[in-house]
Amino acid sequence: MKKQTLLAAALLALGGFSGAALADLTVAIAGPMTGQYASAGDQIRKGAEMAIADINARGGVLGQKLKLEVGDDACDPKQAVSVANTMVNKGIVYMHGHWCSSSTIPASDVYADADILVATVSTNPQVTERGLPNVFRIMGRDDQQGLVAGGYIADNFKDRKVAVVDDKSAYGKGLADEMAKAMSDKGLKPSLRESITAGERDYSSLIAKFKQAGVDVMAFGGYHTEVALILRQAQAAGLQLTVMGGDTMTNAELVTAAGPAADNVLFTFSPDARKNPDAAPVVEKFRAAKVEPEGYVLYAYAAMQLFEQVATAANSTKYADLEKAMRGGNFKTVIGDLAFGPKGDLNVPGFVVYRWQGGQYDYVK
Amino acid sequence: MSTVVFARHAMTAAERLRDAGWVAFVGFILGVPLIGLTTVDVGGRLAVNTRFGLLAATVAAVFAGRLLLRWGLDQARERKQARSAAGAPASADERAQGAQKVVTVLGWIALGAAVALPIFYSDNRYVVDTATTVLIYVMLGWGLNVVVGLAGLLDLGYVAFYAVGAYSYALLSTQYGWSFWEALPVSGALAAGFGILLGYPILRLRGDYLAIVTLGFGEIIRVILVNWTEFSGGPNGISSIPRPSFFGLDFARSAPEGEQTFAGFFGLDFSPMHRLIFLYYLILVLALLTHAFVSRLRKLPVGRAWEALREDEIACRAMGMNTTNIKLSAFAIGAMLGGFAGVFFAARQGFISPESFTFAESAIILAIVVLGGMGSQMGVVLAATLLVLIPEFGRNFAEYRMLLFGAAMVLIMIWKPGGLLSHREPTVRLNPLGRAGAAREAAR
Amino acid sequence: MAYALQQLINGLTLGAMYGLIAIGYTMVYGIIGMINFAHGDIFMVSAFIAVTAFTLLAAADVTSIPLALSFVLIVAIFFTSAYGWAVERTAYRPLRGSTRLAPLISAIGMSIFLQNTVQLTQGARVKPIPPVLEGGLVLWDTPAFAVQISWSQMLIIVTTVTLMVAFTWMITQTPFGRQQRSCEQDRTMAALLGVNVDRTISLTFMLGAALAAVAGVMVTVYYGVVDFFIGFLVGIKAFTAAVLGGIGSLPGAMLGGLLIGLIESFWAAYLWAEYKDVATFGILCLVLMLRPSGLLGRPEVEKV
Repeated sequence: MKKQTLLAAALLALGGFSGAALADLTVAIAGPMTGQYASAGDQIRKGAEMAIADINARGGVLGQKLKLEVGDDACDPKQAVSVANTMVNKGIVYMHGHWCSSSTIPASDVYADADILVATVSTNPQVTERGLPNVFRIMGRDDQQGLVAGGYIADNFKDRKVAVVDDKSAYGKGLADEMAKAMSDKGLKPSLRESITAGERDYSSLIAKFKQAGVDVMAFGGYHTEVALILRQAQAAGLQLTVMGGDTMTNAELVTAAGPAADNVLFTFSPDARKNPDAAPVVEKFRAAKVEPEGYVLYAYAAMQLFEQVATAANSTKYADLEKAMRGGNFKTVIGDLAFGPKGDLNVPGFVVYRWQGGQYDYVK
Repeated sequence: MSTVVFARHAMTAAERLRDAGWVAFVGFILGVPLIGLTTVDVGGRLAVNTRFGLLAATVAAVFAGRLLLRWGLDQARERKQARSAAGAPASADERAQGAQKVVTVLGWIALGAAVALPIFYSDNRYVVDTATTVLIYVMLGWGLNVVVGLAGLLDLGYVAFYAVGAYSYALLSTQYGWSFWEALPVSGALAAGFGILLGYPILRLRGDYLAIVTLGFGEIIRVILVNWTEFSGGPNGISSIPRPSFFGLDFARSAPEGEQTFAGFFGLDFSPMHRLIFLYYLILVLALLTHAFVSRLRKLPVGRAWEALREDEIACRAMGMNTTNIKLSAFAIGAMLGGFAGVFFAARQGFISPESFTFAESAIILAIVVLGGMGSQMGVVLAATLLVLIPEFGRNFAEYRMLLFGAAMVLIMIWKPGGLLSHREPTVRLNPLGRAGAAREAAR
Repeated sequence: MAYALQQLINGLTLGAMYGLIAIGYTMVYGIIGMINFAHGDIFMVSAFIAVTAFTLLAAADVTSIPLALSFVLIVAIFFTSAYGWAVERTAYRPLRGSTRLAPLISAIGMSIFLQNTVQLTQGARVKPIPPVLEGGLVLWDTPAFAVQISWSQMLIIVTTVTLMVAFTWMITQTPFGRQQRSCEQDRTMAALLGVNVDRTISLTFMLGAALAAVAGVMVTVYYGVVDFFIGFLVGIKAFTAAVLGGIGSLPGAMLGGLLIGLIESFWAAYLWAEYKDVATFGILCLVLMLRPSGLLGRPEVEKV
C-alpha cells in the first residue's frame, strides 16, 4: 500500500512541473548559486536583479515587464542540462549564463534546440567554436586572455624562471596552455609545466619543486582558492612567488585567504567597467545598495541591458529576429560597446593586466 | 544484545520530557559550534558572529521533534501490537507471496506509466528529460545489481565502466564516424573487457578490500581521462557527439542533400521534442532489454551460481564451483550494462567530460541498489526514481536540496535497513511451499 | 639530495595527517566492520570548529601560542567527539545487525548531510585564518637549495608520534583497550562477559573523532585555509591508507598513512604530479595483490 502511494506521489510530482505561466517576458541567469564557486553566482544574481529593476522602472522591454529566473547548476554539467531544460519549460526568451565553461557547453545545446538566445561569460573557446547560432559571448576567450597574460610574462619576466600550472579544469587547462604558447612564441620557455588537483590542500611538494628549479613566477590556469593556498605555502617555505592568473582572480576571497601575499597576484580581465565613465551612475547605484560592482556584477547588468537593446532593435522577441539583431547591431552597455563577430565572439575583446594591491585590484602600471 | 530494548510500560510524561530534554541537550552541544557561532568576513579578516536566537530555535525544534517522534513511535508500536493480537498472523511465506504479487502488479503499472508518459507530456521538455535521467539510473542500477545484489561483490568504482562506455561511443563517433547502433555493441564489449581486466587480478580479494580497489580503479580511469588530453580531450571533454538517428532519419531542422529528417519523412512539423521523446523511448527499450536479460540470467545456472556465491562462498568452493570465473562473469556483465548506459548517456548529452564520472556518481548508483533492496529489480526502479526526484523537487528549496538528499538517504536506510523492497529470496527454490508453490513456480 | 630531503619532510607531514585520520577508519572498521564514509567530514567539521576558535582567540587578544593551541585543541576535541558520538547513535546504531551495506549507504548519506550542513551554517566561502605558527628551521643550507622544516610541520609530526604512542598504550594496556579488543573479536562473547558493547562502540567512535579533531586543528594551523569540501579527498586518501596498512590494525593505519604521504610527495617531485593519484591507487592494488589483507593486517581465517 505504502509503495503504491509512493509511486503515485512520484507520478503526480512529475505532473506538478508542467504548465508555466507566461505573463511577463521571462529572462534567466544560471550559474553556481551553491557549491564551491557560489560567490561568482552571487555576483551574477546581484547584477542581474539590479538591471531588471532598472529596466522595469524604465517601462520594461517593448512594453512588457521583465521577470528573472535564477538557475543553480553548481558548476556540474549534468545539473546544467537539467537547469537548461527547466528554463526552457519556463518559457524564457534569453539566458545569461552559465558561468563555468563545462556547464555552458552542454547547456547551450539545449538552448539551441529550443531557440533561446544565450549571452555568456564563459571563456573556453569551445563555447562558441561549435558553431551554435544562438550562443554569444560578452567576455573574451581563454586564448585571447592567455595571449595577453603570456605576452606580459614574456615581456616583464624575461630573466626569471616561470612555471606554468593548471588545475585540470576545462577553464584552467585551456588558459594555461594558451599562456605557455604565448610565452614560448615570444621566446620565453616555461621552466616547468605542472598540473594540480583542485580541492587538494597540500602543495608543499609543488613548491619544493619550484625552489629546486629556481622558479619564482607561476602562470596559473585555475581558480582563486588554489592560488591562495599556493601563495601561503610558498611564503611559509620562504619563496616569494609572483602569480599570473586569469579572470577568476577578480574574486576578493583571494585576498582574504592569501593575506598580504595576494599583492603578488597579477591577472588579466576585461578593462574595468567601473572605470568606464558611462557606467558611473550604475556603479554609484550599486555602491548605494551596498554591492561592490566587482567581477561579474556589471557583466550580468550589461547582459540584461544587451537584451533590452537587442529586443528594441529587433522590435520583436521572436528568436530569429533577436538573433539577427544581435549579429547586426552595436550595443552600448556598462561594460562598453558590444558588437559580435560571426562565431558569436566579441569583436574587440580587450584584456588588461591587473594587480592586487592592498585588497583592491587595479591596472598594472 | 545490540538491539535497543524498548521499555514495555508506556512512558510517563516525565520520562518523555526527560528523554526529549536529553536529546535537546545533545542538539545544543552539536549546535554551538556550527549554528550558534559562525565566522564572517569583515574587511579581509574573519570575525565571529553569534546566532544564539537561531540556536535556541533549533534546540526548541529538536525538543519538540523528539517528543513527537517518540509519541509517534509509541503509537505505531501499540497499533502493531493490537493488530497482531487481533488477526491471525499470516505466515511469512504467505506475506512474501503477497508482497511479490503487489510488486509484480506495481511493475506493470510503472511500465504502463513509463510508456504513456511522453504522450501526456509531449510538450514538456523537463519532464521527459528528467524521466530519461531516471531511466539511465535504473539501467545503471540494474547493471550494478548484478555485481552487488546478485553476486554480492561490493563495487565502489562502477562509474569507471559507465565512463568507458561513454568515451568509447564518443570517440568512435567523433573520430571514426560510427553510428550509435554500430558503436553500442562495441562499447559494451569494451566495457566488459575492462571489467575482466580489472576483475581478474583483484577478485580474490575479499569484501572491503575489493571495495577500495574498485574505488581506486574508478579514480584511475577518471584521472587518466583528465590528463590524457590527446586521447580524451582532457578536462575539456568531448563535445558535439552525434545523436542517435531513427533508422537513419536525423532529428534535425533540415537534412543535408539527399537525406531526410525524421519530421520530413513522417510529414510532421519539426519540433525538438521529437528527439527527446525518441531518446526517452530508446532508453526505455534499452532498460527493458536489460531487465529481460538479467531476469533470464538469474534463472540460468550462472545466475544461480551468483546468488549461491553471495550467500556462502566457502560452500560454493566446497561444491567445486570455480568462484573466480563466476565472479568474473558477474563483473563483466555488470560492466557491459554500465557501458551500454554510458553510450546512451554520451549520445543524449552530446557532451561528456570527466566531471560526470566522479566517485559521487558511483556512490549514487550504489545507493540506488542498496536503497532499493539488494537484488530487487523493482526496488532499483523505485530507488532511482526517488534519488533523481528528491534533488529535482529540492530545486524549490534551493540550498537545502542536497541536505535533504543526504538526510533522506540516512532515514530511508534506518526505516528500511534491507532496502525499500527488501525481501531476499533465491530466484529458484527447491519446492519449499508444497504443491501449490511448485505449481506457481512452474507457471512462472 | 637536499631536494629529496625536503620532499621527505613534506611527505612525512602529509603522511602523519593521513595517518591520524586513517586511525579513525581503522578502529571503526575493526569494531563494527563498516567503512565510515562520514569520517572525512567529521574531520572537516573539526577544522571549522578550529577556525571559529582561533578567530575567537584572536578577538580576545590571546597571543601565547601554546595557550591558544591547547585551547583550540580541547574545544575541537570536545565538540568533534560529540559529533562522532551523535553520528554513530543516529545513523549507524539503528542499523547494527542488518546487512553489511546498509550502514555504508547511511554513512554516504551522512557525509552528504554533514557537508551541506556546514555549507549552510558556515557559508560556502573559504575560511582563512592568519598564520598561527610562522617560520621554521633551516636544516641544511646548500647553495642550490635550503632544506626547511616549518614549526607547524614539526608540530604535526611530533603530535602524531605522541598520539600514536599514547594510543598504542591505551589499546594494549588499559581496561578500555581490552574491552575494545574483545568487542573486535566477538561482540556476543564480550557482551556475555559483561562488556558494555554499546558503550565501547560509542567510545570508539568518539576516539576516532577526537583524532580527526586533532588532524583538523593541525590542518587549520598548517594550511590556514578551510572549506566545506576538504573532508572528501582527505577522507578517501586516509581510507586508502587504512586499507594499505591492513584495515583493523592501528600501526598499519599509521604506516599506510606515511607511505601514501611519501608516495604522493615523491611521485609529484620526480615524476608527473598529475598522475599522483594513479600511483597511489596503483601501488595499493599491487600491495593487495601480493598481500590480500594489507601490509600489517591479520590474514582472515576462514571458518566454516
